[in-house]
Amino acid sequence: MLKGNKKALKNTLATLAVAALATAGLTGCSAGANVGGTLTYVTYQDAWTHADPQRNYTGRDIAWFGSYMHRTLTAYDRAEGAAGSAVVPDLATDTGTASNDNKTWEFTLRDGVSFEDGTPITCEDIKYGVSRTFATDVITDGPGYAISMLDIPKGADGTSVYKGPYATEGNDTAAFDKAIVCSNENKTITFNLSRSVGDFNYTTTYLSFGPVPKAADNGDQYDLNPVSSGPYKIESYKAKDSMVLVRNENWNKDSDPLRASRANPDKIVVKFGVAEEVRDQLFLTDSDPNSMSLDAILPTNLPSIFDDAGEVLPEFAGRAINVYDPYVRFAFVNVKKLNCLPVRQAIYYAKDFDGLITLAGGQTFNGDPADGAIKPLMGLDYKKTTGYEDIGTSPNIEKAVALMEQAKTECPELHARVTDKNRGIVYDIADSETNKKSAAIWIDSLAKAGMVIKFNFIEAGSYYSIVMDPTKQSDLSAAGWAPDWANASTVIPELFTTAGGFNLTQNADDPTYAEFEKLSNAALVEPDRKKQGEQWAALNQYVMDQMWIIPGTFSKTQEIWGSGLGGVYFWEPQGAPSFGDIFLK
Amino acid sequence: MSGLLAYVSRRLSITFLILLAVSFAVYLIFALLPFDPASLTCGKNCNDPGIIEANRIRLGYDKPFYEQYWVFLVGLFAGRNYGEGAAAIHCAAPSFGYSFQQHACVTDLLSDALPVTLALAIGALVLWLTIGIGLGVLSARFRGRVLDTASTVFVLIGTSLPTFLTGLMLIIFVVIKWKLLPFPAGGYTSPFENPLVWLNTMILPWITLAFAYAALYTRFVRSQVIETSTEDYIRTARAKGLGEGVILGKHTLRAALAPIATMAGLDFAGLMGGAILTEAVFNLPGLGRLSLGAVLDYDLPIIVATTLLAAAIVVLMNLVLDLVYAFIDPRVRV
Repeated sequence: MLKGNKKALKNTLATLAVAALATAGLTGCSAGANVGGTLTYVTYQDAWTHADPQRNYTGRDIAWFGSYMHRTLTAYDRAEGAAGSAVVPDLATDTGTASNDNKTWEFTLRDGVSFEDGTPITCEDIKYGVSRTFATDVITDGPGYAISMLDIPKGADGTSVYKGPYATEGNDTAAFDKAIVCSNENKTITFNLSRSVGDFNYTTTYLSFGPVPKAADNGDQYDLNPVSSGPYKIESYKAKDSMVLVRNENWNKDSDPLRASRANPDKIVVKFGVAEEVRDQLFLTDSDPNSMSLDAILPTNLPSIFDDAGEVLPEFAGRAINVYDPYVRFAFVNVKKLNCLPVRQAIYYAKDFDGLITLAGGQTFNGDPADGAIKPLMGLDYKKTTGYEDIGTSPNIEKAVALMEQAKTECPELHARVTDKNRGIVYDIADSETNKKSAAIWIDSLAKAGMVIKFNFIEAGSYYSIVMDPTKQSDLSAAGWAPDWANASTVIPELFTTAGGFNLTQNADDPTYAEFEKLSNAALVEPDRKKQGEQWAALNQYVMDQMWIIPGTFSKTQEIWGSGLGGVYFWEPQGAPSFGDIFLK
Repeated sequence: MSGLLAYVSRRLSITFLILLAVSFAVYLIFALLPFDPASLTCGKNCNDPGIIEANRIRLGYDKPFYEQYWVFLVGLFAGRNYGEGAAAIHCAAPSFGYSFQQHACVTDLLSDALPVTLALAIGALVLWLTIGIGLGVLSARFRGRVLDTASTVFVLIGTSLPTFLTGLMLIIFVVIKWKLLPFPAGGYTSPFENPLVWLNTMILPWITLAFAYAALYTRFVRSQVIETSTEDYIRTARAKGLGEGVILGKHTLRAALAPIATMAGLDFAGLMGGAILTEAVFNLPGLGRLSLGAVLDYDLPIIVATTLLAAAIVVLMNLVLDLVYAFIDPRVRV
């Protein structure tokens, strides 16, 4: 997932985070939780990025809506630590049955599941929900796994021949009907995939695999009034104002063991558009004990809540956390433009990690230097990369200079460009005050190795739409990514193969790419999870060997809530608080 | 009277032409910007050329600039349709387009935001005129004395403090620390729906805005009154034995009112374009926040509409001021 925008984390998060939570004496268990009251969330955002299940793609949004309103076929368990990453049935009776070499997956719906008006949820409702993903001109921003995995042919333009439920002409609905089949009694749904996907039941944890009643669908505007299948339903929702959820009387507790012992508050209110400083003051003063911030704390307020080691100060004990978030921050290297390995490595060696991390709040709050694209918390898939032991958090200018000397012989043209004060290396980065300050650190440290770096500051709102255009992308492009679930199949192929949705390395023509793609495809279909983990770790090493990214940080986030709330913990697979477990003490 | 009507109709025609020119200029500016509006509507992680192209066609960005502008103009009078099937959307006339970021017709967004900014601007205007004129007159009357010095300090603070800081301080102290007012519930409640909630919501934003403007008006009124006091006709009035109160009310202040009215009219028009910082700090869903959000999200239909609305308000406010002058002084009707 894109940094700060999309996707959910589905990984195994930091042991450190768990330790911090345990130290704080928090519990993820809802046992003994009080029922009733109004739980309030506060955010500086004007509205949810999306409330439509097919458009939810940030871990936080999925966690929130998945806890309260939207059910899907499978879900992550509600538990602290690694246990939270276990997939459990939600609308389905089990976590699915695979056949045909993992190309066919079958799920059967539970009895008693219904929408908020009491209408039973059927296979056709799930199928209709998934169909909306294909209407990519209307249902924007959501995950595209249904499009990439279902066995539906592509047209001459490379897009699916099925265009979703709204298109009125040139739409191959028969292809979609073959890819998703409902049983006669409308209870069993079968997905026919174009390739083996051993962990497809992780994919179905996405709300985009949830039901939508066709009669209520009004396209883009469904984002404002989605129909609930969970314990709460929308009473009111207005951007720049608030959202109010009340209990859904037609929610059948017996059909929902995942949420049955949770769903504690009677009412849930989200206040939008609260100025960030005001929001933090609300929590610093504990003005509304029954409220929780949906945003990270402002860096300037962190020292009021945490000590220098990042531990929660005694007066905030039990109502704040400092944990690793799901993201890895880095800079993509445009291999087409920086087509010389020694130059790419020289940049890495000359980079001043210390300076950049200190600028962003220090290692305590900003995170640790990354050594690749996979975070250590991915467990099986992570192995510390090798070959760069001679660089710590301080730059190794001597090595960078030696590499530039090597580049002078191996790639004189590129060497001439990156050392030319009028040309140099160009770095795409979002236009922010912190990034502008970081530019000075980059310029200074790379200059010590004889390199010139210039910055292309891009407005944050249009950043990705610009850098994802190969004609506009520069030599380096800042980015961030989190896995969609606890498998680097959602990292390595996505970021570094031509089939991936976020490959900004332009590495397709690199001589080393063909071998990489072959290895990546082999890892994708590897049934032995342990062996697959080793393959991803090796590919992560491959990425570093070729220096397709300049690693940044394994980043952290900080959360705060009022003293009146219980049941708060960091829900690892979604990289978000345990919204569904929160209760009023 | 017929002269006045002719004057009004002439000015209205000119206003219409100005707005047409502004709308064209705004469209032209966005046509020249180095952004692809189709990519921007495609979603934050969208890199599929097929999707971008589909959006381009659906939103009409595939058409030449002049055609897009014509469709926009037609939409103002005939409404517009977007999409097909169950996803079809109709924006009734006068249609300024559809915002895919906010999932609403822009006209609806404007009609929701306009009353908020109107309430904010009118309330603040009343407050700052009351304080500014009152304090300015008193300051002039007691020039060089304690009250004048206090007023100078007030002016200094009022003009120095940015509105976002004043607003934040008011919320942090009045609402969060002293709990004198409830925490802003978010959004906006109409005074016809619940006057008390409305008052609670608006009082601090009024004070924030009025504080900055009242300081400026205090200084302005003070200098106007002092300047007018030195006029011959004031000396004559005083020589005739008129009381100071009568001189101030009937002669000095009256002469100073015309420039104050002009200044207030233009400031009011400026605020109607959106008191961005005040609205942002107090979480008021007015035109300022609508514009700010649109700029940050590159939501072009909203940017075009809010720019046009702001221009229309300034032009119309000028017209109103001219009419007031025309009513007072028939010479301007010529």
